[in-house]
Amino acid sequence: MIRVESLVKTYPSRKGKPPIKAVDDISFSVAAGELLGLLGPNGAGIVGIIGPNGAGKTTTVKMLCGLIRPNSGQIVIDGKDLTQRRIAALSKVSAVLEGNRNIYWRLTARENLEFFAALKGLNPAHVRGDIDHYLELFNLTEKANVEARKLSRGMQQKLAIAVALISQSRVVLLDEPTLGLDVQASYEIRQLLKEIVHDQGRTVILTTHDMNVVQDTCQRVIIVNEGRIVADDSVHDLLDLFRVRVYKITIQGVLTPCQRASLLDMEQVIIKEESPERTSISVRLEESQVLYGVIGILGSNNSLIESIDQEQNNFERVFLEIVEGGTQGA
Amino acid sequence: MPKKLLLIQAFFKKEFIIYRRYLLNSLGGMITLYVVFLLLLGGFQGLRTLTGVEGDTVEGLVVGYVLWFFMLSTYQDVSYALRNEAKEGTLEQLYMSVHGIGWVMGAKVVAAFFINLMLVAVLLMAALVTTGVTVNVDLFSLFPLVVGTLLGSVGIGFAIGGITLVLKRIDSYTQMVQFLLIALVAAPAGRVMWMRFLPCSYGSNLIAQVMVGGQHITQLGLGNVTAMLFIGIGHLGLGYGVYKLCERKAMVQGTLGHY
Repeated sequence: MIRVESLVKTYPSRKGKPPIKAVDDISFSVAAGELLGLLGPNGAGIVGIIGPNGAGKTTTVKMLCGLIRPNSGQIVIDGKDLTQRRIAALSKVSAVLEGNRNIYWRLTARENLEFFAALKGLNPAHVRGDIDHYLELFNLTEKANVEARKLSRGMQQKLAIAVALISQSRVVLLDEPTLGLDVQASYEIRQLLKEIVHDQGRTVILTTHDMNVVQDTCQRVIIVNEGRIVADDSVHDLLDLFRVRVYKITIQGVLTPCQRASLLDMEQVIIKEESPERTSISVRLEESQVLYGVIGILGSNNSLIESIDQEQNNFERVFLEIVEGGTQGA
Repeated sequence: MPKKLLLIQAFFKKEFIIYRRYLLNSLGGMITLYVVFLLLLGGFQGLRTLTGVEGDTVEGLVVGYVLWFFMLSTYQDVSYALRNEAKEGTLEQLYMSVHGIGWVMGAKVVAAFFINLMLVAVLLMAALVTTGVTVNVDLFSLFPLVVGTLLGSVGIGFAIGGITLVLKRIDSYTQMVQFLLIALVAAPAGRVMWMRFLPCSYGSNLIAQVMVGGQHITQLGLGNVTAMLFIGIGHLGLGYGVYKLCERKAMVQGTLGHY
């Protein structure tokens, strides 16, 4: 469906600043088979592009939208080269690039949907049923005739995504779809994205800083750092790859200076919280001897162990391991 | 209905909705324009020469002012629209249209033409009632002349809009274009041959000949009308060319949708 080959983008120098290499030889593809075959209730069909600030995520997405001209490389969408057959290629793609800024604030939700349908070559009269469907799906029916500027940020974001969907494009690109939203709105957007993929068979490619979004919605994730892909794998496999057992040990009271020094000598141990009432210690368990060692140190002063809990592995830690550790091609 | 017509219809509907929804603001703009006209009428008699027609008549002032308003609105519908779309974050959506940005902006200009036509009609009526003069409103003659004249202001709009995409925040300079348009309307293209090649000037002169001089398009000479149309198309092409060059630069810099 989308094939990106050896994409390079260097922004020219401006105002005396040196040129910036934003994207450095990126290649990946999102196959039609993936679109159709990997659908599932767990957010299959959603591909996340993540990375630290300035990693090249937004530049990559904007190049996919034909809005930034790459220095070299090729983007092929549904068999059409974006450079040579721009309009044909872009007819398969829709995007929400800067969240709630992608809609006309002085038009109502319904008017926005009608206008953007025409912009995508559809007769608004013929897609009235679709418009009603998306208003309902996004819980905007009651707000259909309210100007976009009067909607909450979460509703504006939902409307922007509905506008992107009205075009019937097979691929939807979302740049930071949950940025600036409260917990409830972010959750609703994530659920909607899963529904879109599951019910309509579309592929969603999103960029995000929110690891909850990745872990909750994405089936596959591409991690970019300093313009390069450092990992491209399923979220499940990456979580597995970096799975280590981490235990949180909580004791009553504080550590003695001797205990503290001994624990800090151990690479696998982090003292996380310390108060007169209790102290928490995080232990990465690569071999069982480490745990015995920690318990031995705590026992040397008869520290009372309150609890030992296994910590959940999460994608944020995987991301940090990959980006900070520079792991290649997981 | 063909897709391009649907696009024009969509832009017309959008512009009309916003005009109607913010009616107080829209009427305020019209009233301001009318007051400016009254000030011009009362105090700035020199503007009578706007049309370049011999005699410096009040009719000339009315026609020149209304024509300037039409050209200014058309210029702003392209130039300011590009700036505002970038500012509001919708320009990138227009660029991703299946119609292509050229057609999208073309549809926007055509839709805005009809909205502006209504405003011009109101302003003209008000000006005529105020001054008590009459002008020749021969629609058959005026339509091609107005279209040919406005092609020049669309061209200027594209060029300035393109420059804005690259340089950003140059409003204080782009506002000077409204005064440039006065000069273009006032240029005596009927008497000075080279001024016919300026944007809008030749068309303004021919329009004045119809509205003030009472001539029919057939009396203007086929060669003159054709030349005016070609000059208009030339300016449109030139302006669009500048726009495409700027667009290319903005795409290289990655600043297309920024403002």
